[in-house]
Amino acid sequence: MNGKLRIPVLALTLTSLCVTAAAPGWAAGRGGRPWEKIKIPSLGDVQIPAYERVQLPSGLVLYLCEDHEFPLIELSATIRTGGIHEPADKVGLAGMTGSVMRTGGTASWSGDEIDATLEAMGAQVVTWIDTEGGGAYLSCLSEDFDQALAILAEILASPRFEPAKIDLAKQEQRAAIARRNDDPASIAGREFQRVIYGPDHPLARTTEYATIDAVTRDDMVAFHRDHVGPDRAFMVAIGDFEAVAMKAQLEQALAGWPRAAQPLPADPQIPEFPRTVNVVDKSDLTQSTVYLGHLGIRATDPHFAAIQVANRILGSGFASRLFVEVRSNRGYAYSTGSAAGTGFRFPGVFAAFVGTKSGSTQDATQVIIDQITRMTTEPVTDEELQRAKDGILNAEVFNYDTKREILDRQVLFEMCGYPPDFLQTYIAQVRLLTPEQVLAACRAVWKPENLSILAVGNRQAWDGDLSCFGPVNEIDITIPEPAPKFEVPNATPASLEQGQSLLAKAAETIGGRGIAGLKGWRRKIQLNATIQGMALQFGIEEAALLPDKLRQVQTTPFGSMTQVVDGQTGWAETPRGREQFDGERAAKVRESLDTDLLRVLRDRARLTCQALEPIELDGRRYDRVVVTGAGGHYLLYYLDPETGLPAIEETPTESPVTGSPVLQQTVYGDYATQGGLNVAHTFTIRHDGETFATGTLESFEANPQFDPGEFRQD
Amino acid sequence: MPGFRRSWDALLAALVLLAVALPAAAGDYRELEQEVREFTLPNGMHFLVVRRPEVPVFSFNVYVDAGSVNEVQGITGLAHIIEHMAFKGTTEIGTSDAKAERRAMVAEDAAFAALQAERRRAAAADSVRLAALEEAFARAKEAARQFVVSNEFAQVVENNGGVGLNASTSSDATNYYYSFPSNRLELWAYLESNRLAAPVFREFYTEKDGPVTEERRMAVDNNPIGMLVEQLSGMAFSAHPYGHPLVGYMSDLNSITRTQGDDFYRAHYVGNNMACAIVGDVDYDEVKRVADKYFTRIPGPAPTPEVDTVEPKQLGEKRIVIEHTAQPLVLMSYHKGSATDPDDAVYEAIADVLGQGRTSRLYQGLVKDRKIAVQAGGFSGFPGSKYPNLMLIYAVPANEVEPEEIETALVAEIERLAADGMTADELAGVKRRARANFIRSLRGNMGLARQLTHYQMITGDWRNLFKQLDEIEAVTLDDVQRVAGALFAATNRTVAMIRTRDQGAEQAAAR
Repeated sequence: MNGKLRIPVLALTLTSLCVTAAAPGWAAGRGGRPWEKIKIPSLGDVQIPAYERVQLPSGLVLYLCEDHEFPLIELSATIRTGGIHEPADKVGLAGMTGSVMRTGGTASWSGDEIDATLEAMGAQVVTWIDTEGGGAYLSCLSEDFDQALAILAEILASPRFEPAKIDLAKQEQRAAIARRNDDPASIAGREFQRVIYGPDHPLARTTEYATIDAVTRDDMVAFHRDHVGPDRAFMVAIGDFEAVAMKAQLEQALAGWPRAAQPLPADPQIPEFPRTVNVVDKSDLTQSTVYLGHLGIRATDPHFAAIQVANRILGSGFASRLFVEVRSNRGYAYSTGSAAGTGFRFPGVFAAFVGTKSGSTQDATQVIIDQITRMTTEPVTDEELQRAKDGILNAEVFNYDTKREILDRQVLFEMCGYPPDFLQTYIAQVRLLTPEQVLAACRAVWKPENLSILAVGNRQAWDGDLSCFGPVNEIDITIPEPAPKFEVPNATPASLEQGQSLLAKAAETIGGRGIAGLKGWRRKIQLNATIQGMALQFGIEEAALLPDKLRQVQTTPFGSMTQVVDGQTGWAETPRGREQFDGERAAKVRESLDTDLLRVLRDRARLTCQALEPIELDGRRYDRVVVTGAGGHYLLYYLDPETGLPAIEETPTESPVTGSPVLQQTVYGDYATQGGLNVAHTFTIRHDGETFATGTLESFEANPQFDPGEFRQD
Repeated sequence: MPGFRRSWDALLAALVLLAVALPAAAGDYRELEQEVREFTLPNGMHFLVVRRPEVPVFSFNVYVDAGSVNEVQGITGLAHIIEHMAFKGTTEIGTSDAKAERRAMVAEDAAFAALQAERRRAAAADSVRLAALEEAFARAKEAARQFVVSNEFAQVVENNGGVGLNASTSSDATNYYYSFPSNRLELWAYLESNRLAAPVFREFYTEKDGPVTEERRMAVDNNPIGMLVEQLSGMAFSAHPYGHPLVGYMSDLNSITRTQGDDFYRAHYVGNNMACAIVGDVDYDEVKRVADKYFTRIPGPAPTPEVDTVEPKQLGEKRIVIEHTAQPLVLMSYHKGSATDPDDAVYEAIADVLGQGRTSRLYQGLVKDRKIAVQAGGFSGFPGSKYPNLMLIYAVPANEVEPEEIETALVAEIERLAADGMTADELAGVKRRARANFIRSLRGNMGLARQLTHYQMITGDWRNLFKQLDEIEAVTLDDVQRVAGALFAATNRTVAMIRTRDQGAEQAAAR
């Protein structure tokens, strides 16, 4: 659509209204209604601003509208994605992907650099993904647009997902979980969704500590790759630019944004969930929040226009029945009203709500049910209908009062498959509605006997227990605790004895006397890690002479590094030069020797080794031994009950990338005899459940020859 | 922005809204300034008109220079009740018989006075007599209600296509606003002048005991953030009425009479105490014509009661720790100058660097670096800006972090700024952000109308809206150092925090 569309706005005056809708009795005893005598001239035509719609080769649909009043540019993208596409055990994945795209850096810039650049120019760039959709927003002075766009383009195309910013997002999510019961309105809103859709439905499920903990960086990278692409996006550009140039600039800037890698998943089915009456008992509240409702309709429903009008009469605005009955006449509430329950993408939720003092909880609920019932049993009056129509028709011009609103609406219609003139059709339908049509719509769509109820408040202080509305179900909103951090238990003689025996079995399978007589080793390891989106290869050559001599040569893509420790002293040689270790640094390197599996097995007798309860993981059973005294932290081994071989080693450590604490798991595989011992040939290192690196053992030799100068500083 | 909000963001946003619009200001956008036209009616009411003809609509804001700061003990919450009353209609709107209604309301007032007198005897009150008086009052209320045409004022506005009909009360002021199709300018002038000049406080007792009290419960008594904010301002101000709760003490809400409401209204709702801005597809001469025709009915000019109390210098840190079932929160405040203080722009610069955005000292220090909080920030101008007020600092602790640790970290960041000032880069950022934010703030009709009246009434001249950028531009690093040093003295500080009560331990003790 390009060019100017003129829409005549009906100048429906109140004078004409009163001819058709005189209210008997009103005029009695007073001098009429002076405001009706005021002349209302006809309203000028609304000029729809010129805008353009194009689809870029990437699939991105772009709406452009110039606006030169201020030197500002605004981009706003709607992305067809959402939490509905995340796995049930990773609720929070989509939301965190949306926020860390913005905070976690891009190919060219770190997250902190982006914050600094944007804030230094007063620009706003935001990305988000919520349950039903996602989006991106940019607002800046036109002089800063090139820079701001470059940043947004990389955020969309190549987010870095810095681990430190993922940690921050998880911390925010955990805090939000801890605080979700502090505000009664948010309890009611959340629990009502669960009442309507069922607690596990994608439109109702909530983040929990376990679902947040389960999300890894790999998950976010994949979610972005699979679900966030230009072929899913609709972008609105408004501001101080030339449309032709802007189109070209956006096409070029966003050229690197790859299409979504997965086909668009189907929307979840919306189940009919049985009606229930529910209470959340919170004894410290003096006000109750009550929601009533059931599933509604999509805007495609033939009753759409009539339901909008009916809701205006029932519960929208200062003059609605609920406002008058619940708030003005009874003084029960500050906030009350209803939502029509119409949705463009999904069926909406027809809902009425009230916030009232504890002592009128049940009565206010009854008043609302009565008002809804009335809507379905008797026609609205001519006067009410006329008022509702006037309100919609006289305010029609406000559908066009900002460019953003006009374009956003076109995006919504296009995305959800509605014709571009949906609004105009709706207005025309409103104009023709009769009380009988409104009643027919209310009867077809609103079911007072089917209203589920959710009330949050201090149940003891209520004027009734709500059982008059049906069997009452009490909802427990206690927040499931986060998975407990592992703590080393107090040892018992039995657990120590069993621990020693399990490790003895492991030592036997690995080398028997070879372990007891182990004095040192040489080994070569190849390590593959992905750090901040880059796949990197490391080689490590290690010579170890127990108890306290170690030489490591690490080959990295950035050059090689040698570090040597000999008792209390040590040094490192890097491309930047040679560095002497202080005592602390030397101890740290020595610790990696002390905690090596082979060393632990050799020295187990002097360590504290306790057996724990066996555990089942991914369908396999493991014996477990926790070892303390080898290093600063505990070492927890998962042992194959058949062979006794360590399958997983778990220990708290610090991430070499972010420095923040992580739980490191090393998964050992492919045990085979080499250089005198039966050793693992492959291993995977996980940090907080996420794969950090994989490695292979290239060579191993127990008790080799050492060069006398090997551990000395030359 | 859907999905970007977390629960406390919404609450904190509401908290930020309690402070009047943050100042920001113009550079090369003087054209708009040229388009602001003004006139004053004989009663002193000032009008500001900006023509924006693109769409045939207009928005207006009436700013009444009366807020909770103008209340005294015993009538706290009254400015807010008057705001609710302004939707109840007038002698011409909302009644089926104004004269009969008047008589019924007098009887209703008398019944309430009798009931209240008995209630004051507290334990000595005669329960039989009390019940009889309660019943008599209920009957009198019902008798007056017979003449009410419920919500007719709002109905007329909404039927005529009015959108965004609402009002707000702050510590400084009460604002009334909505938007209309532009062919209803004269209807608007009638409606708005009528409710300002000839309001009838019908349903007074139902409204204050019902919706107004429920609003207090919702915003304060059942909301940990609202409760903490009320506690903080009540403590920070020991003499100045900025310490009054905006929604009133519950006991004042119970005892306030309609006569007290009338008195407050008559004292403050005079022409010289109001300003109105209209922005949209309106013609200046036509606005002037309808204003002359309708708004001259508002009384004035007349002297209005002023607040002469000055908060004495705070002599030492004040603090409250609330044990609550909610998760911990930390608020902190420092006394500072008013909007007309010569250092106002310096305060804004300090608040910006300290507490606005992801690169601010507090967010960077507590959230990004130390990871002990999930939100941290601050702003200037709480609870109002007309009189010397507060810089408010807040932080939302991460799980398992004690509020005292947060307090220590906040103080450390604040004292670092006080000791070392800010960097040249930081100050440059303040100036650029101010410019971008100022331009953004001018876009909508309503936003502009509200800013114009705010500056007109708070600073005496709407032109100060456009001078703000110049003032921010003139701030130097030395200014920051000088102002921050005095501002952030420990003796100038008030701390309010929620500590989470250990319910498990309590239940165990109860057993």
